[in-house]
Amino acid sequence: MNRYELGIVDTRNIIKTLQDVYDYDFKNYALTFFKRRVEKIIINNNLKDADGFIRKIETDKGLFEQFLQEICVENTEMFRDPSLWRVLKEEFFPQIVPGNGNFKIWFPEVSSGEELFSTAIVLKKLNLLKDVQFIASSISELNIEKTTKGLFDPKKDEVNEANFTRIYNEGDLSDFYSHEEDKAYWDTSLIENTKFIKQNIIFDDYPKGVKLVLFRNQMIYYNQILQERFTKIIYNSLVPGGHFIIGNNEKIDYWNSDKDFTLINADEGIYKKKLV
Amino acid sequence: MYKALVIGGSAGSFQVITRILSSLPKNFPLPVLLCLHRLKHVRSGFVEALSIKSTIPIVEPFDKETIKPGKGYLAPANYHMYIELNKRIALSTEEPVNHSRPSIDLTFETAAQAYRDKLIGIILSGANRDGAYGLKKLKQAGGLAIVQDPNECQVKTMTEASLKLTTVDHIFTTEQIIKFLLNLK
Repeated sequence: MNRYELGIVDTRNIIKTLQDVYDYDFKNYALTFFKRRVEKIIINNNLKDADGFIRKIETDKGLFEQFLQEICVENTEMFRDPSLWRVLKEEFFPQIVPGNGNFKIWFPEVSSGEELFSTAIVLKKLNLLKDVQFIASSISELNIEKTTKGLFDPKKDEVNEANFTRIYNEGDLSDFYSHEEDKAYWDTSLIENTKFIKQNIIFDDYPKGVKLVLFRNQMIYYNQILQERFTKIIYNSLVPGGHFIIGNNEKIDYWNSDKDFTLINADEGIYKKKLV
Repeated sequence: MYKALVIGGSAGSFQVITRILSSLPKNFPLPVLLCLHRLKHVRSGFVEALSIKSTIPIVEPFDKETIKPGKGYLAPANYHMYIELNKRIALSTEEPVNHSRPSIDLTFETAAQAYRDKLIGIILSGANRDGAYGLKKLKQAGGLAIVQDPNECQVKTMTEASLKLTTVDHIFTTEQIIKFLLNLK
């Protein structure tokens, strides 16, 4: 029942090590969250304490990759918040995608892939998948590998199926995945038209001309400084009138942010980039 | 002298929490942090139901919202709710703890780190062990630990698990909890 708990000084030392050795700056991550992720790695790898973690990660690139994957929290499930996906399916995609040229959708942190595959399935069922291009980026190489293969956790089948039936009266989510032994795979033809990008942590190489950004429940792991910085990157990547979807308990709220974005659906966290 | 009140509950706690919230004075001096187990896919309705009788405003906070006295903060469905050291709410979709998201342990533990000995924690009726570890951390940080009297609880598992892990300051009935809160300055 007792867990290892990281102190504030230890946490700062770890952040400094990651900066010095790998040139990754985590000081603007949300503190409680960051501590919990490091604690989890320390326990899972029997590293005992902060010093054990620092000694190991200084030379072990594999552990650093594992750390990057842990810091990008998995999407909890397919079609999280079914009411959003109903809006996308019934109004948003049918009204906005057809006749809008090459419709670029960017997932700035693809993490475990559920947002990408959920979007692909909704578009496929609308027969609009051919009209979009996905850009999926991650700071974690392991996440990109996993998502490219369509690999996911079969323990999520039940919640995934339940959400699917909250959006679709007929059909079956299992049309889109298969099980092989203890593993589960999405149909990767859904993501044929996806460009994967390994991002560095400052996202200096972001896509342009994007019409929709899906970035739900990822900026909650940043402090307000980093939230603002990322929102501005996303602003710059979007075309005027492009849309930005964040989690339903997130808010774009920096100084003068209402000059950049209009909130068009408060229940589902859908923002629109202003035209001028 | 206290700066915050944190309350955890699960099965059988709704009526208790409603009675508490309807009895607080309008100018209750502390923020009330509420972590109650709830259906993860039902987003709306719960905060509205709690608000009907509550004397203080109850919100499901946005990420990084500043915590203010005299206001209730309910952990949103399918999110953990942390309290950051700078007294802001931080939400998280990390893996469930004790099969729960929101997890009472996590809200209590992070609130204890933020408020140290200026925190009051109350564990109410519930059907699993979530909250027991969090109340222990709260007590270790110098906070005041209160558990609803198991004899009064619809489901005793949560309060009994808490009592097993921690020597608490008070075992109170709902009436006694209310009386105690009304005497806070």
